[in-house]
Amino acid sequence: MDSAAAPSSSVPLTIEGLRIVYGERLAVDRLSFAVRPGEIYGLLGSNGAGKSSTIKAVVGLVTPVAGKVRVFGHDAVHESFSVKERVGYVPETSLLYEALTPREFLEFVAGVRRLDPKTASERANAFATAFRLEAEFEEPIASLSNGTRQKVLLIAALLHQPPLLVLDEPLNSLDPRSVRLMKELLTRYVAQNGRGILFSTHTMEVAAQLCHRVGILDRGVLQGEGTLPELRARVRSGDATLEEIFLRLTREDEGLSETIAALEGP
Amino acid sequence: MGWREAAHVSDVAFTELSLQAVYAFRQGNLAPPGPPRALVARARRRVVQSKALVSGFLGLIALGAAFVARVYGATGSTVGSVPVTPPVFDVGLVVALLGIDVAFLWWAGIQVLPTLLASGVLPVLEPLPIDPATFRRTAALLYLRLFDLPALTVIVTTPLFLGVALGFRVGLAVLPGVLIAVAFSLALSLVTGRFFVRRIQGSRGGGGRAVVRWAYLVLWLLPAFATFGFLTSAPDLFVALGRVVAAGTHAPSALLWTVFPFPFAALPAIAVGGPSALGLSGPGVSLLLGALLGYTLLAAWAAVWLFESVRTIGHVPAAEVRPVTTGGYSLRPTGPVRAVLLKDLRIASRTPGYAFLILVPILDAFALGFFTYIDDPGPHLALSLGLGAVTTAALLATFFGPAFFAIEVLAYAYGRTLPLPSRANVLAKTVLVGLIYLIAGSAVLGFVAARIFAPTLFAVFILSELPAVIAAAFLEFGLLFWRARARSLPITNLYTGAWAAILVSIPGLLVAGAPLVAYSFRGLPAMALVAVIALALTAPLALGRDRS
Repeated sequence: MDSAAAPSSSVPLTIEGLRIVYGERLAVDRLSFAVRPGEIYGLLGSNGAGKSSTIKAVVGLVTPVAGKVRVFGHDAVHESFSVKERVGYVPETSLLYEALTPREFLEFVAGVRRLDPKTASERANAFATAFRLEAEFEEPIASLSNGTRQKVLLIAALLHQPPLLVLDEPLNSLDPRSVRLMKELLTRYVAQNGRGILFSTHTMEVAAQLCHRVGILDRGVLQGEGTLPELRARVRSGDATLEEIFLRLTREDEGLSETIAALEGP
Repeated sequence: MGWREAAHVSDVAFTELSLQAVYAFRQGNLAPPGPPRALVARARRRVVQSKALVSGFLGLIALGAAFVARVYGATGSTVGSVPVTPPVFDVGLVVALLGIDVAFLWWAGIQVLPTLLASGVLPVLEPLPIDPATFRRTAALLYLRLFDLPALTVIVTTPLFLGVALGFRVGLAVLPGVLIAVAFSLALSLVTGRFFVRRIQGSRGGGGRAVVRWAYLVLWLLPAFATFGFLTSAPDLFVALGRVVAAGTHAPSALLWTVFPFPFAALPAIAVGGPSALGLSGPGVSLLLGALLGYTLLAAWAAVWLFESVRTIGHVPAAEVRPVTTGGYSLRPTGPVRAVLLKDLRIASRTPGYAFLILVPILDAFALGFFTYIDDPGPHLALSLGLGAVTTAALLATFFGPAFFAIEVLAYAYGRTLPLPSRANVLAKTVLVGLIYLIAGSAVLGFVAARIFAPTLFAVFILSELPAVIAAAFLEFGLLFWRARARSLPITNLYTGAWAAILVSIPGLLVAGAPLVAYSFRGLPAMALVAVIALALTAPLALGRDRS
């Protein structure tokens, strides 16, 4: 299907009191935030902060022990099919069907999403040309580089023009041209039809350039949320960069100077 | 660093390989709940169980051969007009046994190699500061560990059982042949594994190339059919050997003693009765000795080559730079069920393990139909053989069907984020099983119709069984998807998770077999009725679930 049917809420994503536990390890605790229409929301955090777990709960890969995840009003646990129809997802690692070629993979995704051949072909070709992927379109995915796989995943996520894009570190393996292209594409994409984007990264520059608002996660807990000016006000520093705000809110700046000094060695 | 370090590293690597083989994390599967240590222990246990399954089969074959040798080998017999003396009987038996060992270990090897490649173990080790010699040893030991229990079973049980049955000297004399057989099967597995990486896994997309891949995959099935061939053609082997011995060593047929595994199979008989027991004189003995020496040198070279080459098995040649297609590519999406079916077929065309499941029932039906045609057994027997071939196709398709479920383990984490209901998956895989059965049935129909013109009977028989084949697939896939939702998703290839596929096949085989039993008692109407009832009972179970 093309865009989803009439949404029961205009808010792309609402997360309330989310709690995710792996065995005895608490990955996310009482997390609440929303992605508003027309907004790119950046989820920032160190490794293991709970970004990917939160994203996995949105796309139905992890079942939370408490809390609610709603995509346009649809519950991610009880209405997972409706949620999956409305979401385009790029995972953190490019785990694809290695034995398929990008064309075969995209044809599969387009088939599952019931796209018509003309629309699917036009969109796939447009993105493949933009990402300079045509030469690899018939090579097995197993032989492709990580960056190329990432591009294939991005095309697959955009193929049905979903109202919510969920991107887990989507720019990690991309070349500079593709990064620039993606930033421009996402900015334009989210400006139309009340769409939203949830974007996880630990690259502060990208978040500062791209995201309308960011949420800063530390050990599964939201330490701060808002626009850059709002976050600066929160740390009472009018010219603080997002990196400085992040380090302050997560208290990862404590002892950092000493650690750097120690790295210089004897 | 040396062998000790290599053994240590290969042990760690094998643990990772077991974990990846069972849980397929690198292919996108998610970790099931539970402490990591428990997962590791379970993975290692599963791999040992699967090795034990393969080893048990090989041990049973050796035991069966020893039993046959004990019961029938002492007196010899006459098959047709050809005398089969006890030494000839023993040679035939050992030839069949060594042939089965090579073919079965080779087959097991090519089943496991895609798992080794997918695990990504060797590429992880490669950049580590391990010196080249130790890395070669580590890779070789890791490869040997894939075969350790089955290979040891062959090496120990064959001489032991034959020694107990026929005497110590026979047991000892069979050992060189067993060792050479193991070396050849391991090397053949590696050769075909490399072929797989270069010609099948790395093949580009497109319809014409898919046909070439399927043609290569038929070659891939040779060891499986060789196992079957050695199992079924033993009586013909005794006759052929009897003729060779009767013709003497000057006849051209004496060259048979130069073909592996005949020279090694001759050793036990020679150890008991001397060369004359097999009618071998001076030139014949020289020929045999030359062959023994040649094969021993070849096996030694194969072992060295294997040792040097294992580390490069996963090296996929870099993609060639090709001109960019300017006209664009067209996607032809076809809806969820056909999308899954097409995806499975495309994955199977680059994955021998899955291609095997599709091709075996079809090629088996072709082979049975072909032999029925050339043997010209007469109308009544042709009919029985033809219906038997269709029955075999139905049961094989039903038995192998559950293994297609393992395709869903690939990119599982990504696949689960798509709006793809379980019933679309169940339906697509059931259609695949149904298609395999219909193609196999049609092959039999084509061959047998040339001998006995009863197309209506065959067509009605094939179509009457079809609902039961579909019902069995519904039941099997329905159970597997239910289990996958209820628990973590286990990989179910034939080596690492055989139990799940085998257990779920039992009710499937019962459902597919019920109409065949009905046919034998009450004819076609009863068969059709039972099949339709089976379908009516299983379809709601498989297709009536929610969409999530």
